Amino acid sequence: MDKVPTICPYCGCGCGLYLHVEEGNIIGVSPIRHHPVNKGTLCVKGWNSFEFIQHPERLKYPLIKENDTFRKASWDEAIKYVANQLTDIKKKYSPDSIGVMSSAKCTNEENYLMMKFARAVIGTNNIDHCARLCHSSTVGGLAVAFGSGAMTNSINEIADAKVLFVIGSNTTEQHPMIGMHMLDAVDKGATLIVADPRRTQISEFAQIHLRQKCGTDVVLLNSMMNVIINEGLVDIPFIKRRTENFDAFERVVKKYPPEIAAKITGVPAQDIKKAARIYATEKRAMLFYSMGITQHITGVDNVRSCANLCMLTAHIGQPMTGLNPLRGQNNVQGACDMGALPDVYSGYQEVSEPSSRRKFERTWRRKLPSKPGLTLTEMFDSVLKGQMKAMYIMGENPVISDPDSSHVTEALKKLEFLVVQDIFMSDTAEFADVVLPAVSFAEKDGTFTNTERRVQKIRKAIRPMYGSMPDWRIISEISKEMGYDMGYRATHEIMEEIALLTPLYRGILHHRLDDNFGLQWPCSDPDNPGTPFLHRKKFAKGLGTFIPVDYIPPAENISKKFPFVLTTGRMYFHYHTGTMCRRTSTLEREYPECYAEINPEDADSLGIKHNSMIKVSSRRGTITVRAYVTDKVSKGTIFIPFHYKEEAVNLLTNPAVDPSAKIPEYKVCAVRIESV
Amino acid sequence: MGSIYMESLILAKSNLSYWLRQLRKEMALIGPLKGENNDIVFKTVENIHEIILDCPALIPSPKEFIFPQKEDMFRFSKDKVENLRNDKKRLIFGVRSCDISAIILFDRFYGEKFVDDYYMSRRNNTVFISIGCNNPDPTCFCIGLGSGPFLSLGFDIQFSDLGDRYLVEIGSTNGMDIVKKFIHLFSQPKKSDYDDQYEAMLSSQARFEKRINLENARQKILFEKVDDSFWEGVAKRCFECGGCVYECPLCTCFNVIDRKYSETEGIRIREWDTCMFRGFTKMAGNIWPADKKVMRTKRWYFHKLIYYPEQFGKFGCVGCGRCTITCPGRIDMATIAYRLKVGENERKAD
Amino acid sequence: MKERLTDLYLPSKAKVIDVVDMTSDVKLFKVMPEKTFKYKPGQFLMVSLWGEGEVPISIASTYGVREEIELCIKRVGPVTSAIHSLKSGDDIGIRGPFGNGFSVNRAKNRDILFVGGGIGIAPLRSLINEVLKNKKDFKKIELVYGSRTPSDILFMDDINLWQKKGVNVILTVDRKDRGWRGNAGIVTEHIGKSRVSFKNAHAFVCGPQVMINAVMRDLSSRGTPEGNIIMTLEAHMKCGVGKCGHCYADGKYICTDGPVFSYKEIKQFNLNGV
Repeated sequence: MDKVPTICPYCGCGCGLYLHVEEGNIIGVSPIRHHPVNKGTLCVKGWNSFEFIQHPERLKYPLIKENDTFRKASWDEAIKYVANQLTDIKKKYSPDSIGVMSSAKCTNEENYLMMKFARAVIGTNNIDHCARLCHSSTVGGLAVAFGSGAMTNSINEIADAKVLFVIGSNTTEQHPMIGMHMLDAVDKGATLIVADPRRTQISEFAQIHLRQKCGTDVVLLNSMMNVIINEGLVDIPFIKRRTENFDAFERVVKKYPPEIAAKITGVPAQDIKKAARIYATEKRAMLFYSMGITQHITGVDNVRSCANLCMLTAHIGQPMTGLNPLRGQNNVQGACDMGALPDVYSGYQEVSEPSSRRKFERTWRRKLPSKPGLTLTEMFDSVLKGQMKAMYIMGENPVISDPDSSHVTEALKKLEFLVVQDIFMSDTAEFADVVLPAVSFAEKDGTFTNTERRVQKIRKAIRPMYGSMPDWRIISEISKEMGYDMGYRATHEIMEEIALLTPLYRGILHHRLDDNFGLQWPCSDPDNPGTPFLHRKKFAKGLGTFIPVDYIPPAENISKKFPFVLTTGRMYFHYHTGTMCRRTSTLEREYPECYAEINPEDADSLGIKHNSMIKVSSRRGTITVRAYVTDKVSKGTIFIPFHYKEEAVNLLTNPAVDPSAKIPEYKVCAVRIESV
Repeated sequence: MGSIYMESLILAKSNLSYWLRQLRKEMALIGPLKGENNDIVFKTVENIHEIILDCPALIPSPKEFIFPQKEDMFRFSKDKVENLRNDKKRLIFGVRSCDISAIILFDRFYGEKFVDDYYMSRRNNTVFISIGCNNPDPTCFCIGLGSGPFLSLGFDIQFSDLGDRYLVEIGSTNGMDIVKKFIHLFSQPKKSDYDDQYEAMLSSQARFEKRINLENARQKILFEKVDDSFWEGVAKRCFECGGCVYECPLCTCFNVIDRKYSETEGIRIREWDTCMFRGFTKMAGNIWPADKKVMRTKRWYFHKLIYYPEQFGKFGCVGCGRCTITCPGRIDMATIAYRLKVGENERKAD
Repeated sequence: MKERLTDLYLPSKAKVIDVVDMTSDVKLFKVMPEKTFKYKPGQFLMVSLWGEGEVPISIASTYGVREEIELCIKRVGPVTSAIHSLKSGDDIGIRGPFGNGFSVNRAKNRDILFVGGGIGIAPLRSLINEVLKNKKDFKKIELVYGSRTPSDILFMDDINLWQKKGVNVILTVDRKDRGWRGNAGIVTEHIGKSRVSFKNAHAFVCGPQVMINAVMRDLSSRGTPEGNIIMTLEAHMKCGVGKCGHCYADGKYICTDGPVFSYKEIKQFNLNGV
């Protein structure tokens, strides 16, 4: 029996675990005791992360659709077919008629290759991935404020912090092992402030729980800053030395005294003041946020407000002090770092910037497009407008994960050519012309970058199941067939190229990642030990910029016809569109069907009983789910997880997006509830 | 397994690797080896000199070798059912005393009344060589339960490190079987060897940091009626990861799942299951008898502290400290026993 | 000495020889096992379908009456749904019989009251037929049986037969329909109509948990000793032999220590809470 150390494939915590392998079978999982993130623990998904790997429903060979049904194909045939189709469409229309979706589930090396494939082989900047739907507002918002859109601190600093301000993050359920560090901090005497409309598990440990109404985060944060300014709790020397644009910002914040904010947010003014004072006066204060902040049409504004709060109180640039967006997917940080985004190459080097473009052109020996491409949400619009003709989707399932699903399926049907590369037959793959069987995390080498910027190695534990192939090999083969031989023999060679072209990753090479559980970027050279916390001495972009932010209400308001606010999210036992967890018996048994959390008062007034079926409708669709009557949600709000394809909540959600980040507003839409 | 046997011998340390190498020709050799970074894990031994004996109780417990996390039970096809019992010979070297104490109870649980053939098949073909702990972890508390650091019976073979040699105590016929063939490598112990073993045990006992009295906790629950708010407080911190159960060398629950490869072919497997999940007691027709987390956390402690003693005369805990390491909510056995002892209010005043 | 190995978890083959539709979601399966075995009323089998899984099903037939075994199965989950798709001639797997089963020895020379709800009539049927084999050993025999609707009443033929043999039967339904002239309401509303001497009677109760709880309290308040109120409990089970742990509740395994318990034991071990 062997135990292969690797990284959990679920959330962004990046916990270390062993896969137990016996004669080519994976028979178990156990945590790595000294791993800095999980320290010998795992969450339920981690403990059960082995089961789906050898599931009989894994895709076993390439499939080609003929007369609306799939038939088995050889790799040779499938690769040639994909290459020819893509080449034809590129010639017939233009490179920009092809869109590429990379994956936050795949390794850094694979995301880099996908980005290279889109830009150098196809010749388009139309590449994006699901970070668009989770943290694009962070990447955009923090780039302008600080110059870097990642978690500023390390996970193992959390336990020693004095104040934890958690806004819009259900940490113990969504980043359980970060939640563990938070509880440790609370046990050591830290003050925990939670701002969340729902009564989450972490909020039960909070000294102050601010239950703002969905979509009013800007008001809440502005009014906290209003208190801090008015009560003289501002760190003036820091603002003078390290930041710019304070005056313009101050003028806006002045408009949000806590008494006015209380009316909009529903949070008592006293609580706002108390939270502001505690956060501002204590050193070693860490701010955490997640989807509750980012998934709004004001996602970028929310993120900017968080950044403003940190700068105002000088809570940045020190250990245990900073602004920490918790990234969702195991490698969503890495997929962004690798430039699987329409406007940047790896390391956030802009495609429109001639010097960086020239650097990539020289190395890749191809002319590269200079105009930023389409975002994921824009790609589907472009398909419907008849501009985009083909898509290559790797390891994503937009049919379930994107807002207003029927819009997405309509677009997928309209495509001339669709390639989907995945480990299971996903709902998106059903629409494909070619389905390519890829491998899971257990069958390949590579690296994942977790939410604290830690680049860690995943290791091949078993041979690829059935006739599947690692994603990086598939991309290379298609590329070769299209006349561009990438010529990598192993993933460490790809990492070498990444290091060459990416200042953030310059010192990150596979052989350096075996000791000390990887390296945290920025890592400037092969001797650099990595960076546990960011913005020391100065911000990545020089001076930090205050950006004034005014309140904009959610895109959709409740009305007589749709009197409830629907907010969506994840739950502990499941993960995203469920392709992995719903094939894991323990996880599926726990929550086998979709449900809606509804407040007891609302349930009473509508005559809805716990566990009875209800119909939830928005302007875009209707689903029928089981009612969970609980005071976790406040009156007037319901919560539905988005993991279930049977009752896909994204049939209801509003596709309205943030104007700059293009992130959809998953957290607020208006619905009507009827008992069935 | 096998019947009880008692004999003591001396093995010079210089003879150990030769002996293991010979044994490895007949059975798979598994031992504590370096894992990622500073970790030590049980793996198949490639290089005998890499075995690390000076380590605490390892994660996960060696129950994984006799009751694996996932075990294939049957392979079925249209007209055939194949029983996939594992009967490979294995030697697990370097197990801790606490784990042997747990295996003794496992043997009773799976062997009494109805004999669990999957467990028994593995157990009959596995020999454990345990080692008296010279170096307990800060999380260890076997000393308060009599399940370590050294055992006087119940093991197949127990090693005691006496510097340049091991005192080898053989406690079962299965243990004797692997010594007998190589008896020329061993010598008879002198009285001073037993004195040295006693000295080693005393010095080990002195190193324990935790003194946990589970009897105290049991009596508190039985006779002083612990308030439900206490258990509510425990449940509030539960992450529902199942780690305590997965790691526990004494947790025995499993789930049975069928997996189809085609319409007529597939396998029936069993997997570790945990009472920490609401689905554990789920019944058809959307009935969830243990929907509240507090019912489940309480049940685990009651099982270990109250019902195990009733059924087996021993606590359902051997003090290995694994739940202390693996519980993200810090509501492990040692912590709860301590909190039951001091009471909630005093703890807050600390 | 090595422990003897058993094929504890290997289901043995049985052939479905007849399937009777009883209601919209209940079917009676008559199965012929490859190897016949003795069983008691109240015992259950682990019924297995390769590829679907196993479920505990109590035996509805009575040993010695007919050779085949009868299993009354309600469609509630994935496994029972799969079983429902079987036809006569198909194979099915069975393990068992497991559980302690009912014992009627202590009820001799006393009144017996059977209280059943829904599919709970299945194990009671096995017991009633057992009792009727030696009817003279007992005094009054009565059955109170509640169903959702008149069309959900199971084993009507048996009930008619029992009545002919002198069993006083009280039927009730939750929801009447047009043809129904009988009682309506839950069983506890009609227990009072029984003519058994509650203080000395033995009661055997089987049905949904809520009903069992209500009946236990009701009978207890009428003076039936707690040790004489007997019922079978249901639980999530994967093994049937006290190993998998799913049915474990406060020191007892429903599968091996039960599924038949007295009200006294249920109170003592706090079983119905879990």
